[in-house]
Amino acid sequence: MDKNIILEIKLPNIPDIELVALEGLQLMGRCLGIDEDKIGEAKIIVTEAIINGLEHTGKESPFVDVDFTMTKEKLIITIIDSGKGFVPSEVAEPNLKDKLKGGNKRGWGLKIMKSMSDDFEIKSDENGTIIIITKKLI
Amino acid sequence: MSSEFSYTSKLENNILIITTQGYINNVGGEKIEKEFKKHYDNGVTNVLVDMEKSNVINSIGISYFIEIIEKLNDKNGKLYFTNLDSAIDKTFSIMGLFQYAVKVNSVDEIK
Repeated sequence: MDKNIILEIKLPNIPDIELVALEGLQLMGRCLGIDEDKIGEAKIIVTEAIINGLEHTGKESPFVDVDFTMTKEKLIITIIDSGKGFVPSEVAEPNLKDKLKGGNKRGWGLKIMKSMSDDFEIKSDENGTIIIITKKLI
Repeated sequence: MSSEFSYTSKLENNILIITTQGYINNVGGEKIEKEFKKHYDNGVTNVLVDMEKSNVINSIGISYFIEIIEKLNDKNGKLYFTNLDSAIDKTFSIMGLFQYAVKVNSVDEIK
């Protein structure tokens, strides 16, 4: 059976805290001999998932729970926030041409996460949001 | 992990070269845009961002590059990138940045 490394962390809503998760990811990848490019892509996904979670989490629980399960074959990322939730289908697909003429240049997180991952699942309601992402590592 | 953002800039044949180091987040992106704006207001319309020492970025940081592209488009200028980390390269592709910005190997390709 493949070696399985698990990292569970609770991140408070403070600037650049996502770097803590990225450091953990880097170390896990190094331990399993994962290709640096794959870890780089996973880092982009994780960064977006965490900043998205921290942006939407509620004031009463200003943190996100981050869970990585990594084998040589794949990484499963779970990000949980306790915000008021949202309807994913109502989030408009960003388009650069439109962004260039509009005021708001942001709103790329979901697109990047979906495009960079191999499986993307999001569950959101008034109690919070859970994002489960699978990234193949080979 | 190199996280603290810093940058240097220089003008070479009227091309603004910004060399970044560390995490390009909202703070880093804002600093890059501010530096760009200073030169843009003086007529510089070609900008090269060297990201050899930045291998972490987020979409908020990238949104500042979109601001820069928008301003450069108004004056037929161009944003160039060099030494992109492969994951960042892929991210820019997903967002469509290379429809408006150009990857180069060095500043010599711009001249």
